[in-house]
Amino acid sequence: MFTLKPSGNLLSAVRRTAILPGLPRGTSRMRRFGLRSGRVATVALVLYALLLGACLGLASANWATRGRYPFGGVALNAWTAWPRIGSRDADPYARAIDARTGEIPLALGEGLVLTATQDDAGQRLDPGCRYAVSGTTPPARAWTLAVERRHPARATATGGPPPRTGFTSTEILRDRGGGFALALSPTVQPGNWLPMPPGEGSIRLVLRLYDTPVAASTGVLEREGVPSITRLGCTP
Amino acid sequence: MTPFGRFLLATLCGLVLAGLVHLTVVLAIPYLSDRDALSRSRSTLSNDTSVLIHPAQVGGPAEATEDWLPPQDPASAIGVCAYDLDDGPVRVTAETGPLLESISLHGRSGAYYAVTDQAAVRGTLELVIMTRRQFDEALAEAGEDDRNRDVRVVAPGREGYVVVRVLAALPSQQAMANKAAASVSCTIDGPDE
Repeated sequence: MFTLKPSGNLLSAVRRTAILPGLPRGTSRMRRFGLRSGRVATVALVLYALLLGACLGLASANWATRGRYPFGGVALNAWTAWPRIGSRDADPYARAIDARTGEIPLALGEGLVLTATQDDAGQRLDPGCRYAVSGTTPPARAWTLAVERRHPARATATGGPPPRTGFTSTEILRDRGGGFALALSPTVQPGNWLPMPPGEGSIRLVLRLYDTPVAASTGVLEREGVPSITRLGCTP
Repeated sequence: MTPFGRFLLATLCGLVLAGLVHLTVVLAIPYLSDRDALSRSRSTLSNDTSVLIHPAQVGGPAEATEDWLPPQDPASAIGVCAYDLDDGPVRVTAETGPLLESISLHGRSGAYYAVTDQAAVRGTLELVIMTRRQFDEALAEAGEDDRNRDVRVVAPGREGYVVVRVLAALPSQQAMANKAAASVSCTIDGPDE
């Protein structure tokens, strides 16, 4: 790959500084020295290539296997589902991400997870805002809708029940048509109030459909629709 | 070759190497990780029943467990039990109740089978996990008139774990869900049974 030809900036610099005092001596020694420093330059280049490969490779692998699954997402309005992570044809990145976090994905026959980090208008979910999550869910035997914060606040020992972090399909209050409207807000709201979780970092909504025919074909998702997420207003 | 050309060549080689390192690392992470579910669940190998690793938290104080999962559904209780098919086929038996319960089988390559309580016969969900070889042996040993009612699942690998999820749809069902998730039995199916 690399020839041992004496060349390179390093080499010429070495020659300029090191060879000058020895000029009157014979040229054979000079050639030998040139050969040696050429080898040094080659070794430096090989080391550089190895180091570059190792650092870039490790850094990019680290970057690609933290956070969200990179491939196979099915987006529907604000929601995204990864139907294939719970099956045997999950891609290597999803597997690596699960291995790093310890996550056990919902298997294909168990259900499907939809997550949302934005509202329907495409804006990131803001912990200081009020949101209405309403509509109907895709067909499922049961579903739960939970809100998660990246760095949740530590639970304080107040003695009372822990604040609500989600609703299940059984306990949520519905309207006459069978739909529901949920209020995600930092302040108390009437109806289905889901408190904004305290803590730091971004929030996301997670809709888990259990025992659903949707998992088999995500086309059903588009037909049946997903809940809409609307921003109502923000407290400054 | 000019010095700059050599430098470019070295950079190019470095980039190709980076690609190879990237792919190797991504593919190797599931095998090297000691925080993945397979390694973490290995401590349950000697148990006869599943171990609760994520309690349902829908009302009242949550049950303290060894919770190493990233954030999960607050309404579902999750239990695992690991298996190693070297000792023989593994029989998974779950008594289903009024709650939605699902059992999924995971190997090193991901989830390969899942069943919900709707498949239960008289309130019992029973699966036998075996390797391809054990499956063939069981078929060969069975007589013409033997009618085996077991649901046999051929596992892709020797090691894996069973995950039980029970949904507590109402706060009052929390304790029941936790109990159900921790009471699935995974025993080695001996030849004498």
